[in-house]
Formats: sequence, structure tokens, C-alpha cells
Amino acid sequence: MAGFQRVDDGRIHVHVYATPRFKTRHFNVKFVQPLARDTVTPTALLPYLWMEGTQSYPTARAIMERADDLFGATVRTSIGKRGDRHVVEAYAGVPDEQAFRGATGLFQQAQALAAEVCSQPVLEGNAFPQRHVQREITLHKRRIESLFDDKIAWSMDRCLEAVYQGERFGLPRLGYVEDLGQLSGEQLRSVHHHLLNTADIHAYVVGNVGDADRAAQDVLTLLHAALERAGGGASGTDRTAAAEGPVNPLAHRSGDVRTVVDEQPVNQGKLNLGFRTGISCRDDDYPAMLVCNGILGGFPHSKLFVNVREKASLAYYASSRLDGLTGVLAVQTGIEINNYEQALSIIQEQVRAIQNGEISATELAYTKHGLRNQYLQANDQPMSLIDLNFAGVLAGQARELEELLKRIEAVTADDVVRVSSNIQLDTVYFLRNEVSRGA
Amino acid sequence: MRELDYSRLRERLYTEQLDNGLTVFLAPKPGYQQVFATFTTHYGSIDSVFRVGDEAPAAVPDGIAHFLEHKMFESPQGDVFNEFAKNGAAANAFTTFDQTTYLFSCTENAKENMQVLLDFVQEPYFTDENVEKEKGIIGQEIRMYDDNPEWRSFFGLLRGLYQQHPVRIDIAGTVESIAKIDKETLYRCYRTFYHPSNMMLFCAGGFDPKEMMDVIRSNQAKKSFGPAPDIERIYPEEPSEAGERKSVAALSVSQPRCLIGWKDANTGLTGQDLLAQEMLTGVILDVLFGRSSPLYHRWIDEGLIDQQFTWEYELTPSYGYSLVGGNTADPDRLIAEVNDALARAAAEGLPEEAFHRGRKKAMGRFVGSLDSPNFIARSFSSYYFKGVDLFDTVEVLESLTLQQANERLRAHFIPRQQAVSIVLPKAVDAPAEKGR
Repeated sequence: MAGFQRVDDGRIHVHVYATPRFKTRHFNVKFVQPLARDTVTPTALLPYLWMEGTQSYPTARAIMERADDLFGATVRTSIGKRGDRHVVEAYAGVPDEQAFRGATGLFQQAQALAAEVCSQPVLEGNAFPQRHVQREITLHKRRIESLFDDKIAWSMDRCLEAVYQGERFGLPRLGYVEDLGQLSGEQLRSVHHHLLNTADIHAYVVGNVGDADRAAQDVLTLLHAALERAGGGASGTDRTAAAEGPVNPLAHRSGDVRTVVDEQPVNQGKLNLGFRTGISCRDDDYPAMLVCNGILGGFPHSKLFVNVREKASLAYYASSRLDGLTGVLAVQTGIEINNYEQALSIIQEQVRAIQNGEISATELAYTKHGLRNQYLQANDQPMSLIDLNFAGVLAGQARELEELLKRIEAVTADDVVRVSSNIQLDTVYFLRNEVSRGA
Repeated sequence: MRELDYSRLRERLYTEQLDNGLTVFLAPKPGYQQVFATFTTHYGSIDSVFRVGDEAPAAVPDGIAHFLEHKMFESPQGDVFNEFAKNGAAANAFTTFDQTTYLFSCTENAKENMQVLLDFVQEPYFTDENVEKEKGIIGQEIRMYDDNPEWRSFFGLLRGLYQQHPVRIDIAGTVESIAKIDKETLYRCYRTFYHPSNMMLFCAGGFDPKEMMDVIRSNQAKKSFGPAPDIERIYPEEPSEAGERKSVAALSVSQPRCLIGWKDANTGLTGQDLLAQEMLTGVILDVLFGRSSPLYHRWIDEGLIDQQFTWEYELTPSYGYSLVGGNTADPDRLIAEVNDALARAAAEGLPEEAFHRGRKKAMGRFVGSLDSPNFIARSFSSYYFKGVDLFDTVEVLESLTLQQANERLRAHFIPRQQAVSIVLPKAVDAPAEKGR
């Protein structure tokens, strides 16, 4: 199967996946820069500020109306964290032009809108307008605070925060509430400028776009013009994210296992475990680690699901996931608070079982089938295609899917046992109800 | 096998009703590797009182449809997930108010997986022991939702809107209600609602429709089902006005959340009428409260709402409701603002340009979602038992007029059919002032 075609031009990289399969055409621009304590909050605010207004569409509402006029084009921006990189994104997706009268040129218009959103924000003098800054600071404060309201995600974040303690990986995707008060329109403008002029830029196009080369050239032309207008051009001389090299996995550490307990008035306890593996998607052992994680908690046939949920009836969900960039493996469950000890010991037993070679032929086979299916499904999901490719790009190892599938197929039980010795427990996190203390 | 061509959408459907009453739809998507199949019974959490033939009416425990969904994955050979895993498929299931769906998605061995799907849903295996075991698992599922502010505010709203109709009860029931479930009751519900005549099968993605239909046909021909039970679903008489106008819950959250909803008095619709009312109400809500509306931006400016603010409309033959809301700094002010806005809209009518933009957006979003076999299978199935053809969506949207919208606006948003549901922060344990 033809994958992405890549065109490099300095720090701009365009990846095009041309296929008549999809009715929707997708355009996604990613600005990549290293996570850093002093820029994490203003950078996180940028994509939201972008949606406050552009030079042609000076208010948030004008941007949304324009998108609606493009037959309900989806136009959005977001902030992401991949390993120790901060990724600021703009996205536009439009439906098939053939389904509607008067929809010719829809994709070009949507691409132009997305490019304008990230490169030509509405400004007052040399600053983001005070009104927009104020509005977004208020929203961003709530955005950060409301993470607290989703206990499953909150517990995972708290667990990973402990695992990444003191590392750049650990900087929060959305930044810090305490930084928000000091942000000014001028300062945000300069952070914006710096991002446009120095970040590594990865633009993705997926859909029925005919000739991939031409589509890539169109995007290059569009981005060059956008950066030019933004007052920088694509040849910034500052250190770029590329100079940082690929994302490295989190190394093993010495010292004791950390235990973190939070108390809140909750109905269900959340027990999460964070492990370091030191293995990321560019390593030769990655396919084996994928299989290892799959056997542990990736599927309904996996050890965690079978032993924590099905056999002991302790939980509704009990699963593990592996971050391909950081090599961190995280287990999550929701349990009755009093069952903490029992659940913790069953989870740790499952890891030990793998390390002791207790892997059945069916566990191995089912897990390989399941992984293969997950990757093949991504072929029919444009956003998954982009994500997978981008993770490989960041790790400096964009393996072709075929290659990865072959390697997964070749993984043996011995390989799994061998790589499982790298699984080092770092943090046990528990969210529980409030323990009443005597007055 | 009939072929239906939706040329404008570049989609094609194949359909057949089998001898045992099962209706099958196949939606091949050329070039796709993924196959997504759903096997759905017209049986959900609201079907808790029913009569079969001339038997006495039965009332079964709340949450039993969902409990049954969990238990279907047991077989004498063990866990059905393993059968799917053997063929590299990911399987799942979900229960809604009015249906239960079993599904798999795969990229290889689609025919084998289809057999597994048909066989496990048509071979119940309940024992005292495996029923008991599930109570702990579902208990944790209920607990998980107990901590979820979206879920809590949503069911607070339905409980307020509905005085009698079982849509007011959580789909999973309660820890107390599921304690009463035993294998005999499960078998009884199974025999009543899992007859092929009460079910439909949908498959979308990369496969050959003729071959797939042959597999399904021969699988079904090997099994014998008795005559179709004559099911009467008994829903209580629901008054048109809301019951409890305001409900408040306290949870461990950082900020208040508020949903404002209206019970739909115009129920009993099916087919195109139902679809038209659904689309029309959706466009109205989007024009008034969506991302392009002046109100949404004014409330954001004033710090009243955040970007999680949302609207929703759901309609089935026996109930319907709309809602707006989300996180808010001031629930009472939001309620007053929403009611003001609706009174003004009813008096002035919707702006014509905004109405047409809203229709156009809804059409575009619909067509864009047709890239997903998952979306097609799930949406087509959920509409099917309402007598609606999913692929009529664009035509229906095209036919809507501003006049219809203004009439609907005045008919639906009636104060005495309104209820509100608020979730407030439980204690002064707001998150520490640090980033996450």
C-alpha cells in the first residue's frame, strides 16, 4: 500500500497521503518545539488565541461562520504534547465536493483558512488584542482547572506527573494557572512569532487530492506565503526543534518506587501504575514491547482484564498502554477503595508472570493478531494515519507499516520475556475518598 | 438481496430479510480494509415492562438489558472475546435506552468474525455463578459513572423532565436493582427480545456483499427459532410537563455544571417525520447556541460558559428531549439567559441567513462522517428501529424551511416542559494552583 509521500523544504516537511477512499479531505499543520518551563504556558495559549480572529475574519464568530459556509468545514486548533515536545496544531477538514452544488474549490479554501488561522492572527499594533487575551486567559484557567473533573484522566495525569518528575516530559500540556496572570498581548505575540520562525513544521494532507506531488507543492506554496506574511519566512536562523534531534525515551532511574495518594470525595478509587521501559518506537525491541504491553493489558484477552476484572470482579476497566515516544507503560483501573491492596497485588503479579515466562501460546497469538488489526484499521482512519506517521517522524524512525507488522509477527515468547525485564515500576498512584480524621 | 443506490452520496446498500425475520444490511466501501459489523436488538433499558402474547405483563429489574449485554459474552467454552481475538477482531457492545448492539471491527477474517458474532448473540449461556460474578464488575461501572459530572447532570435532567417514563432511569440500573437479577430473568428477557425478527444486522467496510450475505444466510438457515414472540412494550402515561423543575447534585468538581432541557411533547413519530423533526430541532439549537451563534460568543466573553458548552437533541417514538448547557460560573444566570434568548427567538424568529448556514453545515458534517464504517453502522442501526433511513439525511435537511423552524421553535421550547440539572462542587478542595 502506498504510504505518505514526503517533501522536505528546510524546516517545513509536507506529508501527503493521496487516496480516493475518503470523502473528507484533511489538512493538518503541526508546529513542533521543545517543551520548556518558561514557554509552556504562553505556547499552550496560542492555538486558542488563533481561533479568536484572523486578519480576514477578525472575530471568533467570523472564523466559525466562514467554516460553516464551507459546508460545515471543521476548523480547529489544539495543543499537544508528544514526548518532550510541544505541538501546536491547526486542522481543517471538508466533505466531498461532489456531494454538493457550488462546492468546487472547497478544500483549497479550507486549507487557506487553516493557514491564515495559524499565521495571521488579528493584531492591534504589535500585540494580540487585549480583549482576546483576557477572554482566552479566563477560558484557559478553566480549561486547566476542569481537568480535575474527569477523574480517569486526572488520575492518569497525576501518575505520569510523578513518573516524569523533574524532566521536561513532565511539563503539563496546557501549562500552569500561575503563569496566566503575567501574560500580555505583546509577549504572546512574540512567542507566536518565535514559534512560526523556529519550529519544525509538519503539514499533513490526507484524502482524495489527486496527484500527491502537486498537493505537496501547493501546501509548500501556501505555507511559505503564510510565513512570509507573518514576517519571518521559513528560514529562521534560531535553534529549531530539529536541532534537538529525535525524542528519546525516559531512562530508567535508581531509587525507590514512589507512592502518591490523593484524597477527594469520590465514589470510586482510581489505581494507576507508571512503569519505565526505556524502549521507544525507534528501538529494535519496540515490537516485542508492544506485544508485551498487549499481553499485559492491551485487550480483553489480556492478563489484566482476565485477572482483575473477569476473575476477581474488582473493576470494570483494567488496562495498560505504552507510550511509543517516552517508553512509559501505564496501567489504569477503577476499583472499590477498600480493594486497593488486592488490586495492586494482582496487577503486580501479572507483570511478574510475564517476566517469569508465563505466557501461553494463545496469549501471544491473540495479542499479535490484535496489534495487527489495530495497525491495519489505522489505514482506514485518516487521523490515525497522521498520528502514527508523526510519532515515527518525532522518534527519528518512521517505519513503514508493513515493516512494523512483519516485526510484530516475528516476536517470540522469549523476546517478550527478555524485554519485560526492562519494565521498572516507578510510581503507584491512588485516588481515594477522604479519610475522616478525628477532630 | 436488494440493491439500493445512493448515487449522490456515492454509497450503496444491499439488504435482505431472511426467512427467520432477521433484516440484514450490507454497506461495502471499496478500498477499505476495515470491516465493522453491528448486530442490534430492539431492546434497551426502557423496555422494563412488557407483555408477550396473552401472558401477564412482566416488570423486570432496572438495568437488566445492560446486564444481559455483559453476560452474552459468556459461552460454555469461556469468554467470547477469545473467539474474536483468535481472528484478530476487536469486539464490543453497548446498551442504550432503546437498543442493545454487539459489534466487531476487523481487517482480516471478516466472514469468520461474522459467524462468531451471529453465534454468540444467538447462544445465551447464563449460570448462577457467572451472573453473580458480573455484579461486582457492573457495580464498578456504575460507580465510575457516579463520579462523572456529565453523566450525573444528564441523568439529573432526565429524572427532572420525566415523571414516569423509564428513560429517567440510568441504563445500568443501580447497585440495588442489579442485585435482584438472576439467570431465570435474564433468560426470560433474552427469549422475548433476541428473536431474529426483533433484530437487525449491519456490516460496513471492505468485503464482497454477495459472499458476506451467503455466509449470513447459511449461518441463520442452520438454526431454528420458534415463532416470533408478539411483544407489547408497556410504557407508562407520561404527562407533558416536567416533574421536578430543578435538581442539584454535589460532586468533586472544580466548577458548576448546568444542563437545561425540554421534554418533547410531540412524540409518536417514525420514519421521515421523525428524521425531519430531529434535523429541524438540531439546526435550531445550532443556530441559537452553536459555535457560530452570537449568544455563544457573548456568554464566553462574559465568562458565563466555556468551550465545553453544548446542545443535544434526541427523539425516539416514545420519548424525546433537547438540552443545552455545560460548565458555567453561574447556573442561575445561565438559566435566565437561555430562557430570555428563547423568548426573543420565539418572538422574532430565526435569522434566515443563519438558518441556511446551519442546514448547510449539518449536511456537510453528515457527508464527512460517511468515511467511517463505524459511524454508518451505528447510526443506520439506531435509526432503523425508528423507521428512518440514515441516507435520507441530506434530502431531509434540504427540504427544511425557515417557517418550519420558527413554528417548531415556538412549539418545542415550552417553559412548563423545562427542567434544569445542576452539579455543584462538593467541597472546598479545588485543585491546587498548579498545572497538570
